[in-house]
Amino acid sequence: MSLGTKLKIGITRFLGTNCDEDVRKWLQSLSADTTYLWFEDQFDVNHYDMIVLPGGFSHGDYLRCGAMAAQTPVMKSVKEFAKKDKPILGICNGFQILCEAGLLPGALLRNKELRFKDQWVQLQVNNNQNPFAKKTEVGQTLKLPIAHGDGNYYADSETLKKLKDNNQIWLTYKDNNPNGALMDIAGITNEKHNICALMPHPERALYEWMGSCDGAFLL
Amino acid sequence: MSNKTLANEHEHEQKLKTYRLSSDEYQMMTTLLKREPHAIEWALFSALWSEHCSYKSSKMHLRKFSFRNESTPEMDGENAGVVDLGFGEKIAFKMESHNHPSFIEPVQGAATGVGGILRDIFTMGARPIMTADYLCFGEVDAPRMKDLMKGVVRGISMYGNCVGVPTVTGQTNFHARYNKNILVNALNVGYFAPGQKMALSGASGPGNLVVYVGAKTGRDGVHGASMASASFDDDSESKRPNVQIGDPFYEKLLIEACLQILDQELVVAMQDMGAAGLTSSSFEMAAKGQVGLVIDLKKVPLRDSSMTAEDILLSESQERMLLICEPKNFESIKNTFKKWNLDAVILGEVQKERKVKLQWGVETLTDIDPDLIIEKAPRYERPYQRWASPRKVEQLATPTFRPSELIQKLTKSFKLNQAHWIHNQYDQRVGARTAMACESSVAFARLDHSGRGLGLAVGCRPEVMQMDAEVGALDAVYYPAFQLALKGAETLAITDCLNFGNPQKPEIMSEFVASVEAIALASRKLNAPVISGNVSFYNETLEENIISTPATGVVAIRDSVENLISDQFQAPFESLIAVQMKWVESWTAVMAADKKVSSFKQSPGCDVPDFIKQCSQMDAEFKKLDLPISSIKAIGLGGIATTCLKMTTDAIGFDLSYDLNGNQEADLFKDSFYGFIVSTGDNEKTASFLKSHFKNLNVEIKKIGETTNQKITLSTSTQIEPNQFRTDYLKGL
Repeated sequence: MSLGTKLKIGITRFLGTNCDEDVRKWLQSLSADTTYLWFEDQFDVNHYDMIVLPGGFSHGDYLRCGAMAAQTPVMKSVKEFAKKDKPILGICNGFQILCEAGLLPGALLRNKELRFKDQWVQLQVNNNQNPFAKKTEVGQTLKLPIAHGDGNYYADSETLKKLKDNNQIWLTYKDNNPNGALMDIAGITNEKHNICALMPHPERALYEWMGSCDGAFLL
Repeated sequence: MSNKTLANEHEHEQKLKTYRLSSDEYQMMTTLLKREPHAIEWALFSALWSEHCSYKSSKMHLRKFSFRNESTPEMDGENAGVVDLGFGEKIAFKMESHNHPSFIEPVQGAATGVGGILRDIFTMGARPIMTADYLCFGEVDAPRMKDLMKGVVRGISMYGNCVGVPTVTGQTNFHARYNKNILVNALNVGYFAPGQKMALSGASGPGNLVVYVGAKTGRDGVHGASMASASFDDDSESKRPNVQIGDPFYEKLLIEACLQILDQELVVAMQDMGAAGLTSSSFEMAAKGQVGLVIDLKKVPLRDSSMTAEDILLSESQERMLLICEPKNFESIKNTFKKWNLDAVILGEVQKERKVKLQWGVETLTDIDPDLIIEKAPRYERPYQRWASPRKVEQLATPTFRPSELIQKLTKSFKLNQAHWIHNQYDQRVGARTAMACESSVAFARLDHSGRGLGLAVGCRPEVMQMDAEVGALDAVYYPAFQLALKGAETLAITDCLNFGNPQKPEIMSEFVASVEAIALASRKLNAPVISGNVSFYNETLEENIISTPATGVVAIRDSVENLISDQFQAPFESLIAVQMKWVESWTAVMAADKKVSSFKQSPGCDVPDFIKQCSQMDAEFKKLDLPISSIKAIGLGGIATTCLKMTTDAIGFDLSYDLNGNQEADLFKDSFYGFIVSTGDNEKTASFLKSHFKNLNVEIKKIGETTNQKITLSTSTQIEPNQFRTDYLKGL
């Protein structure tokens, strides 16, 4: 499989990011041209076709998950990139950072059981109008793994209504909500649908031997 | 005797007690130094001659692990052992205990246990890719136990998840003999890609710099090594300040910074500051490299400026390393560490004269030959007796028990429990290499370069050790190797973590020697060298010793990570076939449920290593012959019945009433080492394959029952309510 003409993808790297290599391996397997974007540096937004914010414990999760990462120079460029309506994907801690940076609405609170949770989840695709859902159909079920301590999506009722009305709810947990997220939300997009984020890890579900291939549907 | 000498005598006694040195050791110290020790030297000898650092009671027996083969280069004295996997790939792996700190402060104790073992691996230049834990708790209802369990799991989870190294397998045991002394062992495997450089720990090159990198030094863990080398008393709570505090975020930065400078070939030697901190790392690096070092302790970055030289030397603050580099490379090293927000400070330099000179500014605190304290450390041949297997019998009597009651007892005591609540707090998949993890008895990770599967399992079943030290220690190697073989992996190498009580007690030392010899024997038989390890003595509280627990980690290799067969039943109405070699038979699980110890019967003519080898070749045959095997699992303690219970899912149960072949229902719970169960869609074809595959071995092959639609039937008289069982089996804290 390939992403066609060599897509230039930037992968953010903060102190404590730990899924950077996994994401890079995934994108390279699709023949993308990948570059790490160091948290202290801004980048040329015209140079990239897509930005991915991988998971991990950026800046040790100190203060709040993603809060310190959201204030770094690289995020200034990510915001600028976002304004150009180009695609951004946040995974796990990347989702938290995008919320903290104000690029996505809402926040991710501590899991309802107050502990870290690693498990496989069944997700439902609620909307496929975004750059990472083109290969999926509405109603389709995806099997992906989660691994997080703070994945409990929260937003006020007004925001939730807006999310729903604008078709910004991308993925929801089916049957079993692992973290207490409101409306079973596992992944959302911004209003323009170019900034997308999810708590599960697609890069850990690309081949049969990993336990599922459904992560490959995202790109 | 005058009052004055009496007072001096008393003071001397106190000093020996404080520094945990015997009067013989004090004599040795003055003889070696040819004078009275200086103030700081008391602390140095105390730390480095502690059991924890010197292995003084075990070293002469550990030589029995000298067997090596073509894939295990001689690496003695390094931080971990290395295995050459071919295709340019190598791994480093090791297991270590953090028992004492975890009992005092479970979250930090367990967390820093994980941190310490990770540093042993990446200090060699390998990237950590798999962590395993081996835990022994007391009875669930014992005082503090639930908090200890929750705390330990939280500690491992917090640290491992944050550094981004998956925890992929483990074992959790429960027994009253751990009520006052739990065991927390952690294992890590690191990966060397082709061409990746290995770093060693011997200092060299006079004029080269001694550089401190990582987190700042604080008061945590001062005297930790000597604490870990003593038995607990009622006062163990007051030792809390001796426990180190870990920060996995710093560790993650340290991993990246260290691997980067090693990759750039800027480092001559590197060693982590583990037990006894800067003391052990500096003296060991000097002794290993047969050089001297000059170090100014005033240059050590501190969290607390009021720390004394002794505090600094003995601090066990985490996430710190000592390295040696050429002067021209220091700037680059410093810049790399700065990028990762870490300190890199020059403490001194390597000198030709073989002395470690510790300075406090201009003042010289000590100036001694490192060999006096490392090579010349005391060695004890503690008294022991040859192992005589007191519980070995000719005829094994069948105990009377009710199966359904037994199952309830086992689930209630957590002995029959999936430990799901533990494993789902561990990130099992970060790194995107995990092919099989905690849902199974063994784990597999995909090796980046060759795509092969690296198998990992931990071993040692306390109840078997309690029954017999020799059988138990053989089993600590054979059982994980057998479990890996059933998934098609060939055993490569072994690490161990020998948790024992007080070595000064001959009965404990006898079990220790029997265990070491049994592990060494099993390792030769399997052609799998014991390449690294750790000894933890004095697991004793108020004269009560733990069960001798030689935990092991076994690594194995499989051609690929595709088509690994599950431990769990996959479909109803399939045949269940058991294959059993009856080398040792016992009633371990049944007796343990009543807090009794089983006897055992041992049969001659059972070639266990050959059985393991043939099992490892079976998996490839399944595929070649297109046999519809849907699950496979080793028969654990509690026999066929408890193993089938562990293979159930919410939707699939089993029926063993099929044919008891004249056996009693109780026999379903009998242990026989070793055997396995397969579920298959084609009974005839599978049975005939198994018979031909194992034709040269003394094994019994028979159909034992079938899988069902949820229902669990042991015999015509015993049914188990499946929903209730699944609830009990999956329950957690």
